[in-house]
Amino acid sequence: MMPARRSTTMLANLVTWGLVLLISFPLIWMVVTSVRPQTELFQIPPTVIPRAITFEHYIKLLQETPFLRYFMNSMILATSTTIVVIVVGTLGAYSLVRFSYRGRETLAALVLFTYLLPSVVLIIPLYLMMVKLGLANTLTSLVIAYTTFALPYALWLLRSFMAGVPEDLESAALVDGASRIGAFIDVILPQALPGIISTALFTFILAWNEYLYALVMVNSDQARPLTTGVMNMLITSFNIEWSLLMAASVMMSIPLIIIFAFLQSYLTRGFGAGGVKG
Amino acid sequence: MVTVTFDKVRKAFGEAVAIPSLDLAIASGEFVSLLGPSGCGKTTTLRMLAGLEQPTAGEIMIGERTVNNLAPSERDIAMVFQSYALYPHMSVRENIAYPLRKRGVPKADRPAMVQAAADLLQLGPLLDRKPRQLSGGQQQRVALGRALVREPKVFLLDEPLSNLDAKLRAHMRAELIELHRRLGKTMVYVTHDQLEAMTMSTRIAVMQGGELQQFATPAEIYHRPANTFVAGFIGTPSMTLADGEITMDQGRPVLKLGTLSLELPADHLSERPEGTRRVTVAVRPEDILVGTGSFRANVRLVEPTGHESIVLVNAGDVGFTVRVAGDTVLKAGETIPLDLRRERIHVFDRESGRRLNADLAAATADPVRSRA
Repeated sequence: MMPARRSTTMLANLVTWGLVLLISFPLIWMVVTSVRPQTELFQIPPTVIPRAITFEHYIKLLQETPFLRYFMNSMILATSTTIVVIVVGTLGAYSLVRFSYRGRETLAALVLFTYLLPSVVLIIPLYLMMVKLGLANTLTSLVIAYTTFALPYALWLLRSFMAGVPEDLESAALVDGASRIGAFIDVILPQALPGIISTALFTFILAWNEYLYALVMVNSDQARPLTTGVMNMLITSFNIEWSLLMAASVMMSIPLIIIFAFLQSYLTRGFGAGGVKG
Repeated sequence: MVTVTFDKVRKAFGEAVAIPSLDLAIASGEFVSLLGPSGCGKTTTLRMLAGLEQPTAGEIMIGERTVNNLAPSERDIAMVFQSYALYPHMSVRENIAYPLRKRGVPKADRPAMVQAAADLLQLGPLLDRKPRQLSGGQQQRVALGRALVREPKVFLLDEPLSNLDAKLRAHMRAELIELHRRLGKTMVYVTHDQLEAMTMSTRIAVMQGGELQQFATPAEIYHRPANTFVAGFIGTPSMTLADGEITMDQGRPVLKLGTLSLELPADHLSERPEGTRRVTVAVRPEDILVGTGSFRANVRLVEPTGHESIVLVNAGDVGFTVRVAGDTVLKAGETIPLDLRRERIHVFDRESGRRLNADLAAATADPVRSRA
């Protein structure tokens, strides 16, 4: 390799790694802080590598706080929302792509329109509705609320995936003896599976990270998800429990990191589909 | 015995009428091609027969059974799609077995049936591959295998050869003819390729603008086109179509084509024209003779293809397309004698396009092909 070329490559590598370090610094700091002893926390000058490593914050978090309950709530919340959105979204997207009926395009446009509404404007009406329905302060109310803004977007994403499945495949299945729902399950679903998985991931992440609705609609400790729960528990007007907060943050990130690690390829495919067709 | 009948079938998509009214009776065991240019309604007709489209009016029957309100799965048909429509996530074996699975064929019986279909189409070594690992021709054979594994009453084929290269297409054409002979099933074949229709069909239904133009044997369609559309559509190169007039002169019809004037046989037309009749005349390239006759023609262009040459000539003010043997030496710009085989001149009414020939000779000469 020519020297000039080599130095260019090295420079590019240097810049890239510099950027990676810059972007990942808060994450690294989060992990480091969560295992740093309390005494070392506000030391000046600060130490980059902790002198001692301790898991006391994690243990305290798990044993002395309702962290696990919040975690469970978040899990139930994100999973339920994902299931509802995927079931309704898949069938809805299929209908929008395959059936021709009056107002189909208008309906699709309206769905997009609801997606364009800032979610903030829906909070108060939704909250009042939940109170009327007797669902205020429950996880169910959050599932419904998240569905309202995750579903339109899931519909559009899934629609573009469904449109990519050739109609002939379904016709062939029908002629081969399948019922319409049979053809849907045997042929359409396997073809749209990458799209369904990536939509499910988006929805799960959305529900897992949501803060605003959770803050407004739920104020009982029994139903609080992680986002507001941790906030409420560790941050008060007078004090921020930095060590615990960082430990909680690490644990909150773990499910998402696992999901990203295993299903990353589906996720990027989802981005692509949304970008090109949606 | 499985006949297929379309009785006054109409199909409209909203305001757009794809098929105004179709009557078609396909006999049992026939290989019928629906032939026509793009948008002529042939695929719509096939999809209605398959149950993938609902007719707006009229009745479709398979055998004695009206199938209008039956789902595709209840019609006992199989279909091969232009795109083959193989299920990408299933292996060849699973693809072929799918119709058996869906129709409740006992699990124990399936492998033997799949194997039989695979053997028939030489798919044995490919059974465990996925469709994307196959060539176009192999995919096509899998699609055929999936169609015939179950022995349906009627086979529907929607341009199954159009995605293959020319050589493979010729090969598959022969295979399909062979398959039809062996199975003896009623087959309905959609194509825009007249060569496919002519070589494979027992009868061809020529369609245009959603209407049936002619339904007859390939020979009859070639030798006795029912109207100007069929005359112009069938045959490569196409017939020469020219406007002319016919008058009676001492009991014989005389045709005037621009400055050319020729006497036709006395029994050429089915009806005697009164006064002057405006007609459209069609002549096949092989029914024009060069080097003989009283007309003078000017050679415009010679297209040699080897065993024959296609020659464009002008005679009077009419341009003719002529087929001559490959060894005929002709040069552009040359003036040559030319004649038309008068008994082979097709005459159509200029307004309605309807055929006016009496066709006595042609009717006895037509070999009616049937493999059924």
